Amino acid sequence: MKRLALDELNLEAQPGAFAGTLMNSSRDLVTRVCQGDPEAFRLIFDRYSRPVIGFIYDMVSDRELAEELTQETFVRAYRGIRAMNPETKLSTWLFGIARNVARESLRARVRANRHVDLENKSVLDLSDNEPIPVDRLLSKELNELIRRALEALDEDKRVVFTLKVFHQCSYEEIAAITGFSLAKLKTDLHRARAEMRRRIKPYAGVGYEV
Amino acid sequence: MKCEACLELLEEYLDRELAEREASEVAEHLITCRSCSAESSTLVAEQEMFSHYDRELEVPPALWRQVAEHTVAPVVTPVSGNGFVARFSSLLRVPAFSVSVATAVALVIIAILIGSVYRGTQKSEPTSASAGSPSRMDASQKNEQQRIVVEVPNKNVAVIGGRPKSKRLIEIKRTRIDQTDVLSSDFGYQDVDDQDTAKHLEQTQNLLRSIRNVQLNDSDQDIDVSYDKALSRRLLNENIVLRRDAEMKAKFPTKALLSDLEPFLIDIANLPDQAKPDDVRAIKERVKKTEIVAALIGYE
Repeated sequence: MKRLALDELNLEAQPGAFAGTLMNSSRDLVTRVCQGDPEAFRLIFDRYSRPVIGFIYDMVSDRELAEELTQETFVRAYRGIRAMNPETKLSTWLFGIARNVARESLRARVRANRHVDLENKSVLDLSDNEPIPVDRLLSKELNELIRRALEALDEDKRVVFTLKVFHQCSYEEIAAITGFSLAKLKTDLHRARAEMRRRIKPYAGVGYEV
Repeated sequence: MKCEACLELLEEYLDRELAEREASEVAEHLITCRSCSAESSTLVAEQEMFSHYDRELEVPPALWRQVAEHTVAPVVTPVSGNGFVARFSSLLRVPAFSVSVATAVALVIIAILIGSVYRGTQKSEPTSASAGSPSRMDASQKNEQQRIVVEVPNKNVAVIGGRPKSKRLIEIKRTRIDQTDVLSSDFGYQDVDDQDTAKHLEQTQNLLRSIRNVQLNDSDQDIDVSYDKALSRRLLNENIVLRRDAEMKAKFPTKALLSDLEPFLIDIANLPDQAKPDDVRAIKERVKKTEIVAALIGYE
């Protein structure tokens, strides 16, 4: 948090750069990058690196790999930004690249070593097996619980669930990022929610009393 | 509408993906049907639970450097002229390089200043040691040198030019960490011991500050607020959860602050992706008028 505060203040000190939000629309930043303005790409990175690394981490469940793949995502984005469709939202486009990068990495990985079976009690080793209301779960426990349940989803369901629930993307955006039809993504999202519920409910208590 | 139809559309309704007519039908049904309403509450609670999810993931500062090495750095390397000045001036356009040069120049100036001060003190104290080598300095001179080192934090970096490069980097890094400590004490939230809340307040402060600082001209051109809107939605979910937590733990100042924030987050979350300047202006004026950013900064 301290470092974040410092970073934000440093950013504020740069002319016209504060928070890189409203003062620089994504479209303007893309135009500026295409014109060779390196600062504009820095602002794009500042704005989107956090959601991108979060999304990739949700996909690969590995911190170091997520950093590496985030780097790869932005390098690919920079190289391809001139070919970007101006109608596409920058965030959608970046998530699309991130998804491809994560997918390639997942495919290259030996799945057997990474497979996590949530039904196996030794893997999901919480303090006890009694249901605990969510407000009593320690945040670390809850994070771990969600992370492992997420990891157990298959790739299609995980990508749809992550984009909708953690990144608040619309169905249209998810369809653009994944290339899924609307019908498929609705089905995957519904099933992903049901699976997450089934996996978390025994530990988080009935009804998710928050 | 029957319960079966309502339950089938419920997720889409909560995701705000239904057409207006269907959405109003579901909304009407939820008012009258207790079991569907309970199902809806469960899904909302589930969403709130997921909003707690924290990957504890930071973007390391080195990541941008690595990205820049493969992206923006090659853009500025081609030099129009062949001369050293042209090459050097083009390098200065790279932010990381210009900062490094500025730091190096500052360090050299500090080294010269300290050197001259040190010589001055040697001249003003004509002792036998002043003519000798540094290893023969008396205790008072050693103390003087230590005092200077403490007063000028960068001095130990600048003066010991003969040290290995890695050592100097370590010293610079340590100075930066000290600065963050100073900042954290300035912006610390005494009452908010919960890190999640502090992080949330910080992100909200940045969002509101960007709204407050937005430059609006008189043209009717719509403003792209899609990023701010998405951020606001996420912060709104967090805000509701944190406000309830604060209330349960009897942290009333925190609860009051979070309650004050909520209308702003709702307004921003409800903006269309391409917002009218007047809508943004209205929020901006309210942020200014209520001095909510100042309240967040001064919240101790």
